[in-house]
Amino acid sequence: MSLFRAAGLTAGYGPVTVLQGIDLEVNEGEIVVMLGANGAGKTTTMRAISGVIPRQGTIEFQGNSIAKSAPDQIVRAGIAQVPQGRGTFPELSVEDNLRAGAFVRRDSAGVAADIHKWFGVFPRLGERRDQRAGSLSGGEQQMVAIARALMSHPKLLLCDEPSLGLAPLITQELFEVIGNLNKEDGLSVLLVEQNANLAMHLASRVYLLETGTIVAQGSAEELSADDSIRKAYLGF
Amino acid sequence: MDLFLQRLFDGLSDGSVYALLALGIVIIYRGTGHLNFAQGEMALFCTYVVYQLGEWGIPLVPALLLGMLVGFALGVTTEVALVRPVAKKSTFAVFIVTIGLFQGLNWLDGAIWGDQVLPNSAVSKQQQFPSLFPNKATDFWNIFGAGVRIESVGIFAMVMVLTGLLFLLFNKTKVGLAMNSVASNPESARLVGIPTNRVLSFSWGLAAAIGALGGVVFAGQNHTVNMSMMFGVFIYASAAATLGGFDSPGGAVLGGLILGVIQNMVAGYADVWVGQQMKIGVAFVVIVGVLLVKPSGLFGTSKVERV
Amino acid sequence: MKLPLATIKSGGAASWAIRIAVAAAVFAVLLWVPTRGSDPTIGYCLDAFVLMGAAMSLNLLLGFTGQISIGHSAFYGIGAYTTAIFVTRWHWSPFQTMPMAFLIAFVVGVLVSLPALRIKGVYLALVTLALGLVFPQFIKWPKVEWLTGGAKGIDKAGFNFGRHNRTYSIFGWKPFGDMRANGALPFYFWIGVGIVVITYLVCRGVVKSRVGRSLIAIRDNETAAAVMGVNRAVTKGIVFGLSAGLCSLVGCLGTIRTNNVTPDSGYITVLGGITFLIVMVIGGAGSLWGPNIGAVLYIFISVQASNWSNDSSTMPFFLRPFLSWSKVPVGDGIFAILLIALMFVAPFGLVGLWRRLSAKAVAVVPRPFGTASVTTSSATPVAD
Repeated sequence: MSLFRAAGLTAGYGPVTVLQGIDLEVNEGEIVVMLGANGAGKTTTMRAISGVIPRQGTIEFQGNSIAKSAPDQIVRAGIAQVPQGRGTFPELSVEDNLRAGAFVRRDSAGVAADIHKWFGVFPRLGERRDQRAGSLSGGEQQMVAIARALMSHPKLLLCDEPSLGLAPLITQELFEVIGNLNKEDGLSVLLVEQNANLAMHLASRVYLLETGTIVAQGSAEELSADDSIRKAYLGF
Repeated sequence: MDLFLQRLFDGLSDGSVYALLALGIVIIYRGTGHLNFAQGEMALFCTYVVYQLGEWGIPLVPALLLGMLVGFALGVTTEVALVRPVAKKSTFAVFIVTIGLFQGLNWLDGAIWGDQVLPNSAVSKQQQFPSLFPNKATDFWNIFGAGVRIESVGIFAMVMVLTGLLFLLFNKTKVGLAMNSVASNPESARLVGIPTNRVLSFSWGLAAAIGALGGVVFAGQNHTVNMSMMFGVFIYASAAATLGGFDSPGGAVLGGLILGVIQNMVAGYADVWVGQQMKIGVAFVVIVGVLLVKPSGLFGTSKVERV
Repeated sequence: MKLPLATIKSGGAASWAIRIAVAAAVFAVLLWVPTRGSDPTIGYCLDAFVLMGAAMSLNLLLGFTGQISIGHSAFYGIGAYTTAIFVTRWHWSPFQTMPMAFLIAFVVGVLVSLPALRIKGVYLALVTLALGLVFPQFIKWPKVEWLTGGAKGIDKAGFNFGRHNRTYSIFGWKPFGDMRANGALPFYFWIGVGIVVITYLVCRGVVKSRVGRSLIAIRDNETAAAVMGVNRAVTKGIVFGLSAGLCSLVGCLGTIRTNNVTPDSGYITVLGGITFLIVMVIGGAGSLWGPNIGAVLYIFISVQASNWSNDSSTMPFFLRPFLSWSKVPVGDGIFAILLIALMFVAPFGLVGLWRRLSAKAVAVVPRPFGTASVTTSSATPVAD
C-alpha cells in the first residue's frame, strides 16, 4: 500500500534548481534507501518533503496532497525527519530535545511515558537527560535526533545521512534500532545515505540519485546484481 | 550606611527599568539574532499612549495593561510587516529597518504629542505622569535608618515577580520550549512542527510589551514623559544586556540591576568626578569593559565569536 | 523596447565622453554656485558637503569592516571643538586645526573601536551609540568646562579675517566672494569642496590600493586573513580611525562656517550620527558615489520638508493626510519612512537602484582580455 508518493518533485535554492523532477514512492512497512554522492540532492529531497523549502510537483501522503502544506502540518500528518548533522537543539537538555519532538502532541502523560521508553532504548541518553545536548558525542546526538523525531509518532521517518561522522559500530547500533522499529512497529523509513554498505542490508528498495535525477531504482538484490551500478555506486 | 542603602535601592529601582528593557532586547536577540534598535522608542510610544489614556480619565492600571497590549501589537506588527520580509535579504537591512523605526517612532511621538515635556499645565489635565507606587516625597520607609522610597522597593519587587513569571514561561511551558527551540536551532524547530514564524512574532510582541512596562515605570519615576527620554535608557539597557550576556534573560535582569546600582553608587560617591552629566559614561565604560574582559557577558553562552 | 538600449565598451570612446560630460557639468556647477548663487544656496551646498564627508567616512568603515557606526557625531564634534578651541585659545588658523582634529579623532576612534571590532556582532554599533551619547555630555562636564565652554559653547571660533581683509580676484572674477563681508560664504564653499575632494580621494585610494583590495577580499574570510598574516582586529581598528578622522574634518568645516560651536547644535548630538547613516544608506552603502548623492537628496528633502512644515498648504496633496497634522517638523518622519522603504525596494540605495536599472538599459562591455591595465569599475563590494 502506497504510503508516500512524489511525482515530478522539483526543488532548489533561489535561482538554482537542484531536484529536476523526481519520482519517489514509499509503501507501508518499507525501508527505502536513496543513495547519492555529495551534491546529488539528497538533503534537498528531505527538505522538500518536510516542507521547509519551496517545491513543485505532486507530493502525496496517505492519499492526501501535502505539496502545499506547512512544515508543522506535515509533522502532524505523520512525517518526521532526522536531519543531516543531527540537528539537535544544542542549548537544550536531552529531555527538552525530546519534549520539543513531541510538540505537536497534546497528551502530556503519553509524552512523559514515551520519553521514559526512549531512555530505555538508549540508556546512555537516560544517564544524560539533563545535560545540554550540544555537549554529547556525535553518536549520542544522533540517538537524540532519532528519538526526538519518533516522539511525534510518525508513520514515515525521513533519515538524512544518519551515519555521517559516526563510527561504524555506532551506526550499526542505530540501524538496528531503526530496523527493529520497522519490523515491530511497522514504521516506514526513507533513508538517504552516501555510504551504501551500511544501508543496503536494511533496504527493501533502493533509488540512485545523481545531480537531481533518479538514474536507477529497484530492489537491493537487483541493484547489487547489476555490475556497472554495483561498481559505480555500491563500491563492490 | 544610610546613604549607602538609599543609593542601593535607588540603584535597584533605576536598574529595574534597565532590566525591563534589556529583557526585551535579549528576548528578541536570542530568538531572532537581531538587535532591536527601536526597543526604547517602542516603549516610549506606549508610554505616550498610557499618558493619553490618563488624559482621558482611565486609571493607571488598566491604562498600563492597554499600553502593554498596544506594545504587543506593535511588536508583532513590526516582526510580520517589517522584519520578516527584509530578514530574507540581510541582517544589515533588518538593522537599518530598526534604526528607521527608531527615528520614525520618535518623530511620531512628537508629531502626535508635540516636543514639550508632558504633562504640561497648558495642555494636560494630569499633574504628573502617574506612578504605580506611591511616590510623593513623604512616601518612604525607614530601613536601618535610611529613607528608602516606597516606589523604589515596589518597582524592584515588581520586576522580580515578572522575572519569576518569565522564568516559568521559558522553562515550564510549551510556549517557552518553542521559543527556546527556535532560538537554539530554527531549522530543526520547523522540522519538529513548531510554527517558527508565530514564535518569532510572539517574541517581538512580548519584548515590546515588557518594554512598554519599562517605559511607564520610568516615566512614573520622573513624573514626566518627553521625546528624548528613552535614548539613555536604551543604551543602559544595551549595556545591561552586554554585561549579562545577549542570550540570557536572567543575565539581562541581573545586568540591569548591577548597572543601576553601579551608576548610582558612582554618581553618589564620586559625584565630584562623575556627576549628572557623566552618568552615561558609566554605561560606556561597562560595555567596553565587558568586551575587553569577557565578551559573552556574565551568563551568555560563548557563541560569541572572535573576529 | 529592446533591451539593452545601448552597448558601451568600458574604456572606449563613449564611456570617456560620458565621463567628461559629467565632470564638466559638475565643474560648471562648482563655479556657478559661489559666484552667482544666492547665500541660502551656498548654505545648502555647505550643508551637503558636511553630509558628504561624513557619509563617505561611514561608507569607508562599512566597506572594510562590514560594520556601521551610529556615533560618528562624536567625531564630527571632535573636529568642531578642536577647531573652536585651538582658534580661540591659541590663535591657530583653522587650516592648521584640521590635521590636529584628524589626529585626535583617529586616536580616539582606534581606542574606542578596538574592543568591539575584535568581536563579531552588533557591539560596534552599541559602543558607537554610547560614544555618540557620551560626547555632548562630556562637553558639558564641569571638569572640562574651562576648555569646552560647557553648555554655552565657544564663540568666534572660525576665521578671524582681521588681517586678511581683502578680496582675491582673478581677471575680475571673485571666486571667494567679498571676504570683508560678514561670513565669507564663498570662501567656506571652497573649503568645503576641498574637504569633500580630499575625503573622496582618500576613500578611493584606500579602496583601490593593493592593500585595500586584498582587505576587502578577505573581509569575511577568516582563514584567508590568517594565512595572509593580517591581524583583522587591528586593521579594522585603523580603518575605523581613518573613518573617524575624515569625519572630524567636516566638523571643522561646521565650526568655520557658523563661527561658533555648542554641544547640542548641528550634528554633534547622537541624532546627527543617525543622520549620517541615513544619508549613506539613501545614497547607496557600498559605492563610492552613493554617499554624495545621498547628501544632495537629503538636503533637498530637508529643505522641502521644512517649507512644508512652515506652510502646510505647500505640501503635496498625497502627503497631507499623513503629515500635515504633525506638531513637529516632518523631515525626520519622511526620512524614517524612506529608510525603511528603501530596505524593501533598494537596499543598496539610489546608486544601487540606478545600477540595477541602467544595467538593463545600457550594457557595458569589458575590454577584451589582456588589453586592460587597470579595472575601471568603481564599485566597492557591499556588506551583506
